[in-house]
Amino acid sequence: MTNDAPAPSRAARWRRPTLLLALALVVGWAFAVLTAPEDSMQGVIQKILYVHVPCAFAAYAGFGLTALGGALYLWRGDERYDRLGRAAAEAGVLFCTLVIVTGPIWAKGTWGRWWSWDPRLTVTLLLWFIYLAYLLIRGFTEGSERGARFAAVYGIAGLAAVPLNYFAIELFGGRAIHPENLQRGSLGEGMGLPFALGVLAGLAVFAHLVVRRVEIEELRSRAQDDEAEAAPERRLEGGAPWRT
Amino acid sequence: MNVVLAVLWKDLVSEWRSRDRVVSMLLFSLLVVVVLHFSLPPDAGTTLRAGAAGLLWVAYVFAAVLGMNRSFALELENEALSGLALAPADRGHVFLGKAAASFVLLLAVQAATAFAFALAFDVALLPVALRFAGIAALGGLGLAAVGTLFAAVAVRTRQREVMLPLLLLPVLVPLLLGAVRGTAALLEGASIGPAVRLLLVTDAIYLIVSFVLFDFVLDE
Amino acid sequence: MTLAIEARGVEKRFGRVHALRGIDLALEAGRTLALLGPNGAGKSTLLRLFAGLARPSAGSLRVGEADGARASAAERRRARAAIGYLGHATLLYPDLTARENLVFAARLHGVSDPGARADTLLAQQGLDGVADRFARSFSRGMAQRLAIARGLVHDPAIVLLDEPFTGLDPAAADALEAQLRRLHAEGRTLVLVTHELARACALADSAIVLSRGAVVHRAEGAVELAPAALEEGFRQSVGGVA
Repeated sequence: MTNDAPAPSRAARWRRPTLLLALALVVGWAFAVLTAPEDSMQGVIQKILYVHVPCAFAAYAGFGLTALGGALYLWRGDERYDRLGRAAAEAGVLFCTLVIVTGPIWAKGTWGRWWSWDPRLTVTLLLWFIYLAYLLIRGFTEGSERGARFAAVYGIAGLAAVPLNYFAIELFGGRAIHPENLQRGSLGEGMGLPFALGVLAGLAVFAHLVVRRVEIEELRSRAQDDEAEAAPERRLEGGAPWRT
Repeated sequence: MNVVLAVLWKDLVSEWRSRDRVVSMLLFSLLVVVVLHFSLPPDAGTTLRAGAAGLLWVAYVFAAVLGMNRSFALELENEALSGLALAPADRGHVFLGKAAASFVLLLAVQAATAFAFALAFDVALLPVALRFAGIAALGGLGLAAVGTLFAAVAVRTRQREVMLPLLLLPVLVPLLLGAVRGTAALLEGASIGPAVRLLLVTDAIYLIVSFVLFDFVLDE
Repeated sequence: MTLAIEARGVEKRFGRVHALRGIDLALEAGRTLALLGPNGAGKSTLLRLFAGLARPSAGSLRVGEADGARASAAERRRARAAIGYLGHATLLYPDLTARENLVFAARLHGVSDPGARADTLLAQQGLDGVADRFARSFSRGMAQRLAIARGLVHDPAIVLLDEPFTGLDPAAADALEAQLRRLHAEGRTLVLVTHELARACALADSAIVLSRGAVVHRAEGAVELAPAALEEGFRQSVGGVA
């Protein structure tokens, strides 16, 4: 049986490209949003959807990336994947929060209610809880390797749960009143561009945030290594890290 | 397989001797039923059919969380969990043994609670007893599977009592939906087909995922 | 010459605590290694790495048969089958009897005829009188003996013991020392963490002193392993670190 060490990683390379891409897309998106026609029925509040939808894409893509990072980490043991998973989760929870905040704002303006137990809303709320639980695991576990492993396990389990949730709620759940805008032709004139740009911009911003978060984690890990080399006084009590 | 039976036997015998888990699980879920009975209007059983089913399952979930937490807390005494980690056995088998033990205990608690529930809420469970047992068992299976996996994680985090429900509940939603809707359908005389199908799919996925992932959870 | 344990640059970090730094060692099969050092030096951590209970943060560690660069799950299971571990905790279930604890451990390890094996081990440890008493009622010494039996239940080729003499009265300690000698004579590889320098010298083929997570002294052969010499080496290496 052999255990081998992971190799160092280089996330810093991606920082500038993703930043430039994100900036370009955000500017394009902002322009498209400002010049897009106002929805005849919903009024200007409809424009908040140009934030809401991209955030939703990022939130769900983020969770997929979290679970993927976790799975690769469990399989390969390379810390890089764990950093990716954690960064994706931290960025993802941000976007998920935005979805849950912007959604009700729009809903109040159009349906007249803050919330409904529509499948998509409920699943997104549950996703938010799953994200939080994932982050809590990391926060509450002694020892970073164990925390990484546990979080990875939970990320994968959560990934199995999300489509199941959707399927279950769709089967049984509340009335589906969340608009189904992904069908061709259901969007009004001139609204396709801001949505498309929005999704791309959202994903680019997400990617950039992930890159920066990974970078921070890399730097922290290197700083710890240097610190440990310089200060050999740290001791560990012999015995198990199990705590009762 | 031998390992599965060994772990199952060990959990059940330990439980039999201390009656640690089953008593607290049973008391807790009975308490939930009683408290709900007193806080809801007297005819809640008939007017709130689906709601009543939900209440019953709330009691079951709380009991399960309690039981699963204890299942691993006991393993931490004398670090017995390391003993399980050291074994050359397939860790998935260890998982099956522990999940099976939790499942058996949960079934017992479910049965007793259902009885109390039927009395308290004046709900006619007896005519549908067999099918209810089926739904309860399916729900309990998923609960035990994913609960065992997450309990192994939760019990080694800092806020262990609070951690397990936090981890478990979002992931349990499909299971609860199937179980509650199925129970409600039973009480209303409707078809339980869709609910059972959902439960079967969810159980299968949760069992497989937990079986595979347990390996990673047993390491230090 | 097969190496039972080979460590190269092994490191272990727990969050910000650097428990083990740059551990290099090679232990031939059939030899006995004593792991010494002050409290908190990382001896138990290193032993747990050997046992496979934890994985190194860096470096490479090979325990058991020669394998490729990466251990598959099956290989890890095979390695675990060859390793017996006795840690600080007893790994015993308080609500099971002594015999039941051993039978359970035997079944976990796939031992054929677990009942007979349990009886043999109980007799070996002098516990057959209390075979049917619950483990929770055992004194420290009895629990320790039962834990040793549990560690040996699957007849492991590599035996890892973390301060096994703790809690044993002199007679029991002598019996354990005799047992360890027997295990050594049977060709098993032993790694022994202990504070008892005299017994370490009597049993070990080589010794390593850990301090603050690093190896600070190595001893091999009869001369270096005489109690006085070893104690001197110990004090010098441990006392000398700034």
